[in-house]
Amino acid sequence: MSEVAASPTLDRLGPDESGRIARMGGDPTVVRRLMELGLVPGTRVRVVRRAPFGDPIELEVRGVHLSLRRSEARLIHVERD
Amino acid sequence: MSSVIERDPAPPPQGDGPRTPAAAARRPGRVAILGNPNAGKSTLFNRLTGLRQKVGNYPGVTVEKKTGATVLPSGRRVEVLDLPGSYSLQPGSPDETIVRDVLLGLQGDTPPPDVIVFVVDATHLERHLYLLLQVRELGRPMVLALNMMDDARARGLRVESAELERELGLPVVEMSAARGEGLDRLRALLDRDIEPPALPLRRWPAHIERVVHRLEARLPRIPALPERGRFDLALALLMDDGDDEVLARAAPPDVLEDARLLARRLDHAWPGWRSDHVEGRYEIIHEIARRALPVPGETRDVVRERIDRVLTHRVFGPILFLLIMGTIFQSIFAWAAPLMDLMDLGISRLAALTASVMPAGPLRSMLVDGVMAGVGTTLVFVPQIAILFLFISVLEDSGYMARAAFIMDRLMARVGLSGRAFIPLLSSFACAIPGIMATRTIDSRRDRFATIMIAPFMSCSARLPVYALLIGAFVPNVWVGFVTLPGLTLFSLYVLGVAAAILLAAVLKRTVLRGGKPLYVMELPPYRMPSLRSVLLTVRERSLLFVRKAGTVILAVSVVLWFLASYPRGGPGVEALETRAAAAEAAGDEAAAGALRQEIAGLSLEHSFAGRVGRAIEPAIEPLGFDWRIGIGLLTSFAAREVMVSTMATVFHLGDADENSRTLRERLREEVDPDTGRRTYTALVGVSLMVFFALACQCMSTVAVVRRETNSWRWPIAMLVVMNAMAWLASFAVYQGGRMLGLGS
Repeated sequence: MSEVAASPTLDRLGPDESGRIARMGGDPTVVRRLMELGLVPGTRVRVVRRAPFGDPIELEVRGVHLSLRRSEARLIHVERD
Repeated sequence: MSSVIERDPAPPPQGDGPRTPAAAARRPGRVAILGNPNAGKSTLFNRLTGLRQKVGNYPGVTVEKKTGATVLPSGRRVEVLDLPGSYSLQPGSPDETIVRDVLLGLQGDTPPPDVIVFVVDATHLERHLYLLLQVRELGRPMVLALNMMDDARARGLRVESAELERELGLPVVEMSAARGEGLDRLRALLDRDIEPPALPLRRWPAHIERVVHRLEARLPRIPALPERGRFDLALALLMDDGDDEVLARAAPPDVLEDARLLARRLDHAWPGWRSDHVEGRYEIIHEIARRALPVPGETRDVVRERIDRVLTHRVFGPILFLLIMGTIFQSIFAWAAPLMDLMDLGISRLAALTASVMPAGPLRSMLVDGVMAGVGTTLVFVPQIAILFLFISVLEDSGYMARAAFIMDRLMARVGLSGRAFIPLLSSFACAIPGIMATRTIDSRRDRFATIMIAPFMSCSARLPVYALLIGAFVPNVWVGFVTLPGLTLFSLYVLGVAAAILLAAVLKRTVLRGGKPLYVMELPPYRMPSLRSVLLTVRERSLLFVRKAGTVILAVSVVLWFLASYPRGGPGVEALETRAAAAEAAGDEAAAGALRQEIAGLSLEHSFAGRVGRAIEPAIEPLGFDWRIGIGLLTSFAAREVMVSTMATVFHLGDADENSRTLRERLREEVDPDTGRRTYTALVGVSLMVFFALACQCMSTVAVVRRETNSWRWPIAMLVVMNAMAWLASFAVYQGGRMLGLGS
């Protein structure tokens, strides 16, 4: 439980909350792909908004805006700012 | 940090070819434009090549191959290839696979380019440099086109291109493809001899490199593969999960087996080795970006934030989306109509002219009723295609398309599709042809094919005349609550199509189109003003492609259908009728002659191959309540669904009656079966027939366009079989079920 509190997954962040990517877990191919898009551990991400129907979410990372389904955002653990 | 960055000042040229005097003669003949999506590649390609473009497919896949030519200052002509937008050389989509295959020389029809023009968006340098580093590792001659410099300047972003040039060891051209700035400098640069870049900026860790080298040594010789590309091919083999068909063919089975074994060992010894390198590349990129962008400038895009606050707003977002979709739908449905009528009129004028100058006979009949009808059927789609792609390219180029997908993703995910499937499916309510063509905005091949397969279930405008005829004939105009029964019937037919689509999508996504590792990550690009030039080029390209690729199939099928409906000629009693008609005409009795001609047309059709097919398939459609005359209609309506109406008119000797013709409706209602003395077409038959039309794939143009878009006959044939089987079963259930309930009289 405490671990969840310490590094929540990205889908737990609310609009305009940001954090630093701590680690990623899940299918290696999917993780590599997310990393190639710039979601590398240590990088700052900001959740910009949720889509009108709740999913997906919009992220800002390295000045780029990405749309991720929440199931994908769940693979990314962050340290909240 | 510095140990990560490894620079080799003077790489000994190895394999890339010594610079002999002959090198001048080998100056680039083939240039490839490469970069991330939204970097402005296509804009640059259009600027360089103008109208000298060719669009085709890479063999065996659905990825489009765009080539063109440009003339350099020296007067030399070079071929330009527009590679699909890509994020990584470790492919995640068919587009990216093609990029890797072309660069590694695995794409048989497209040898690796002599020079790569790598386009980056100067305002998003960090992200775009990732692919650049990967491609740079291949050691091919390369130029960096620093695009969108106007945007960067407007945002107060200072990009030190000299610093980039030094850091990356590549010639850099500052430009703005949208404004045409920097094109001359790029052309002048391409005229020169471009050195390949020095060694990779970052080496793999020694233990990984050793494994890759071991595999590399076992690779067969691939002539087109650049020397340093062998390393990358070996690496790709190590990283592959085993479902990459191109890679499977690039090396013998024992090498593939070894690759899998080595990869498993690496996974065991260094978990995370696959992604560690990604981190390393980003470390370098961060360093380079820090030097090239001394003042961070305004990273926040104020325009985007303002627009997005409205367009993706929880309430206004969906409302605006619906308004935009409504406008698109309305315009393909209604605004295209006058243009389509004009096309129709033109073709029928031409047909009438041909008929008047040519002597009557089989040749005239083939030209007028076969060839011109086919040309007409093809051209009639062009206004819809042009209008839809006008909207699509504006939405795509402006950046709204990604927002539309962002909004709709949640709803479409329920059917197993992505948000990008919405516009193609909506357009299909007007016509499946442009709808299916619009699926190319869907990245995932599986999602795209699923969308193509279900698009024809959306009730298109060609079904309306058939519905109108049958509803008018069989559905009483009474009120049911606050709607009329005809209205409710029409609505139900639309719902039926959507339900069938959802069902088929669910089945496909769980069976043949299952699997893969679907990633729905999508970039939400900055908003940009679409350029009129690009938009018009897209519209022109899509329209021409349809006419050229689908048009030929449509034309061929039209001629076949004409033949089936016209031969063999004559029939019992036709000759006697001809004589009487001629006599009536000579006597000036136009009315009598006309009636006789209608009778002749009916008898001839009945006697023709089409008539025989109608009779031959009667046993198969009898359980649905259809007789042989409907059978003829099902065959001829393959030309276009609305042809059903005119075929019925001909079969009933009514000449050119349309769907609103009272006589035709009455004839249908009152036709009596001579054997039983009962009415041939009951209301139940009418409903069964409408259900059949709602679900059946009865449109050669759809088949032709699916053939073109999936680049194989497998999918269109599967579509024909599946849709028609579903239609048969549904009509069977309706007709037999209705009879059991006693509705069949």
